[in-house]
Order: sequence, then structure tokens, then C-alpha cells
Amino acid sequence: MSKINMQLKELTENVGKSYSVLQVDYPTPNQAALDFQPGDVHAVLAYLKGQGFRQMSLLSCVDWIEDGQFQLVYLLFNWEAGLRLQVRTRIDRANPVFTTVTGIYPGAKYYERDVHEFFGVEFNGNPDSSKPLFLENWDDMPPMRKDFDPQAYSDRKYKAREYKTDFNTKAGEGQ
Amino acid sequence: MKEVKLFLGPQHPGMHGNSSIHMYVDGDIIKRSYLLPGMLHRGFEKSMERRTWMNNIALIPRICVPEPDPNEMVFALNAEALASVEVPERAHWIRMLVLELARLSAHLMAFGGIGGPTGLYTAMYWAQADRDSILTLFEEITGQRVYHMYITIGGVRKDLPKGIEKKILAFVDDLESRLPDYENLVLNNPSVQARTKDQIMLPAEVVWELGVTGIGMRSSTGKAYDLRKVTPYARYDKVEFDVPTATYSDAHTRLTLKYLEMYQIIRIIRQILDLMPAGKVREKALDGSALRWQVPAGQVYSAVEASRGEYGYYTVSTGGTMPYRVAVRGASFPQATLGIEKYLPGHRIDDAALWFDTMGICSPEIDR
Repeated sequence: MSKINMQLKELTENVGKSYSVLQVDYPTPNQAALDFQPGDVHAVLAYLKGQGFRQMSLLSCVDWIEDGQFQLVYLLFNWEAGLRLQVRTRIDRANPVFTTVTGIYPGAKYYERDVHEFFGVEFNGNPDSSKPLFLENWDDMPPMRKDFDPQAYSDRKYKAREYKTDFNTKAGEGQ
Repeated sequence: MKEVKLFLGPQHPGMHGNSSIHMYVDGDIIKRSYLLPGMLHRGFEKSMERRTWMNNIALIPRICVPEPDPNEMVFALNAEALASVEVPERAHWIRMLVLELARLSAHLMAFGGIGGPTGLYTAMYWAQADRDSILTLFEEITGQRVYHMYITIGGVRKDLPKGIEKKILAFVDDLESRLPDYENLVLNNPSVQARTKDQIMLPAEVVWELGVTGIGMRSSTGKAYDLRKVTPYARYDKVEFDVPTATYSDAHTRLTLKYLEMYQIIRIIRQILDLMPAGKVREKALDGSALRWQVPAGQVYSAVEASRGEYGYYTVSTGGTMPYRVAVRGASFPQATLGIEKYLPGHRIDDAALWFDTMGICSPEIDR
């Protein structure tokens, strides 16, 4: 792998001076992954937005069921420098509540709705966060959680189809 | 006057794909509007967690119908970053060729697609016919017309067929000679101009607020915000091309940029065919059978410039034979969701389809 972007390294060091970074990782030369305590995320995002990371490309969630945690991942991009950041934090899986970041990145509004619908994370301060978006009349646990079993859901929800007609016509019978 | 509730789509000649806009109108002015997505929600992200890395290649192109190749590309880029796989030189060039052909076909579809909401069906027929020629090229290269399953972890599935270069060159020469006809038919057409000039504005502040990328972003900021230039992947740093930009983004500007980009795509394709080296096209990515590949643990995001903007996957691996989690960033998610809620109101009903079209919205990548 080629060398890690110097500007990115400098930036992560600067972030480390003001905020407590739990862990730093460089998955690609132009990308850094930074882990924070949940309480630091908003301040870090506001700081990074001022540092040229004007775009939030994606907010996503990972279900670490064995650790009993949800990991929220904010993917930021700096169009001037071509640098990408993963700002990550872990919240309790049993009580998945977080505060909205729409005050910093307004575009997060629908990503938060998406994460709420598929993982069940509540975003305080996002007025629409608990409204349904993609799934109509959903009546089970949020489906992207690791303990959701689509096969069991399907078996419970839909009756197994019984085929009464034999569609394999015998030779010579035809229509 | 009383507010009336109206649905635009999914069955509407101007709607692109299976989604619907829920509008509250007063007269013919939209007062409030929301996107109703989910009609194409097929649980891709969940399905990907339950398939091996290799099997996923057959699944993911289906996320975006008009332009499936960026899916394969970002999925492969992520797995290669996690497993530290070096892709052979020739494979980079073939990937670029496939991605550019896909971009050209998607641009044709969207540029001609303006015929739907404006009633200019000729444009649609022309563009679909030309797109079909590209699909024929794809069929020769990959064996498939629409979903190619061609770019794979470690390179591409197989080498280009003999003599395809000539056919591609003949096609782009032919298309380039006819692009001025498209300009006359669509861009210079008074009825299209009346509907698009100074209509459906996209100011730079809105671009930053929503996170719009692609042509929408370049048409209002005036900067070459193109991932092929900003963070070059494959071998985009070895080819020369311009990124058309503008600082006044009405629907006509965005259409014009799409039109100008088609020239640049043709320029890139010619350079690729000229510069492409010979050699291997696929590195044996990981040990053992492809169905038992284990990708090292890690979390990485990769994005490419699709025809509609930044298209990316966030992949999480725990070292297993299947991805632990894959999140899809559809290029048009921001403008289709928050954009419709905040910026469609105030427009007229008949502009809603045009709004949807020129913002470059593709429903399947929003629903996933």
C-alpha cells in the first residue's frame, strides 16, 4: 500500500490534540477512521466541518451484537483535499439513543431515519426520525439487526403456497 | 383554495423508476411534498450479509439498473483494500473502459429521458437506440447486456474479446458525429428551453446543505468536483479529460453539462483503447476456492464517480466468508429525500417530473 497522505496524518494528529481519539486506523492512504466516545462526536463533527469536511456522504450503523453495541459511522469528505474520514462511535445496543447531527449536517436527516428504521436507533432532536420511510406496515424488530432472521419472518408472515395443479404435462398431453 | 393531495408516480411517463412523490398542491403550486420510497426495497444490504464475497458480485449490480457497474467496482475496491490485493495493470484499464461505457449509457438514458416530462419522445427513442448499441458491446465483453457481473475482486472476470476495440471505436465515432443532432433536438429546442431555462434552480448553498454530488454539484459550484479528479481510482490519473462545470444551475445547465460530459467520455474511451497495455486481467485475490474466500477484518469506504455523483459502499469485514455489513450510499439519496421535502415545494406540478429528472434521481439506489 502506498504512503498515507501527510495532510491526513496531520489532521488526525490535530484532532487528537483537542479530542480524545480512542483509536486511529488508515484503511486506505486517503482515508482515516477515528473512534470517539459518544459525547465527543458532535464537537468533532462541527470541528471537522470547519476544516473543509463540508460533505457528509453517509451515516451508517453496524450491529456488533456480541459486544452489545451499535456503531454509528459518519463518513465525511473533503472535496478540496480529497480526504475521507470515518468518524465512529459505539452506543449501547440495549438503549440505542443518540442525538441528531442535523444541526451540523442538515443532510443527515434522512440517513438518521434510515438508521432508525433498519436498526432502531432513536435520534433525539430529529423530528421525523421515528416515522417509517422504506418499510410499509412493518411489525417486527428493525430488520438490519443481526438477530433478525428473514426466513423466520417470511415463514411467519406468509403462508406456504400449495400447488394443486400439476404443471408438468405428460408427454403427448399438451394443452 | 383548498389543498389537494396528489401522487406523482410510480406510474407516470415522467417518473424515473418506481417511487412516488406525495404532493399537497394549491392550484398548480406544490405546497408540501415528500418522497415515498420503498417500492423497490429488496433488502440488498441484508442479503449481502448472507452471501459469500464472490456470490455478492452476482447480486450487487441489481441495485442500480441503468448503471450497474459502479456497484461491482466499489465492492471490489473495498475487498481489495481490506485484503491488500494489487490489481493487474490491464484490469485497471478494462475497468475504466467498462465504467465509462456504463456512464455513457446512463447519460444517454438520462439525457434522452428528458423527453418524458417535456413530451419530446423523439429524444428518448434516439437515446435508447444508442444505449442499446452500448448494451450490445457489453454483451460481447461480458456476456450480459444489463447486469454485467464483470468487475470482480482482483481484476475483471475475463479479458476483452478479440476485435472489440474496433467496434467500440466505430460506435463512439458514430455517436460523436451525431451528438450535435442531440444538441439541436434537445438543448436548442424552444419547447425544452421554455421548460428548463431559469427553472428548477439548484444554488450552491443547497448543494452543500443536502450533500448533492455529481453534475448537480459541479453545475452550481463551478469547481471540478469529480471523484475521478479529486481521488483518482483505477487509472484516471493517466488519462486526460476535462470536467465541465458551471456556476448557474438551472435545469438547462445540468442538461448541458450532461451533454458535454458525453464528449469527455468518448475522449477517455479513445485514450483507454490507445494506452491499454497487454497482460493479465485478474490476480488470484485470495487463497483457496472463490466460494470460501475470507477477507481480512476491517472497515473501509470506497466511492466512485457514477453518472449521478458519488456512489460508495461502506464494507465491514470480520474476517469471515461473508461481509459482516455493507452499507450503500446511493448517489441521489440526498436530493431525492431531503431535496424533495425542502426544495420541491414552490414549483408547479408539471415541473415536479422535470425536477426529478434533472436532479439525476434513480429510485433503486435509494431503496436498495
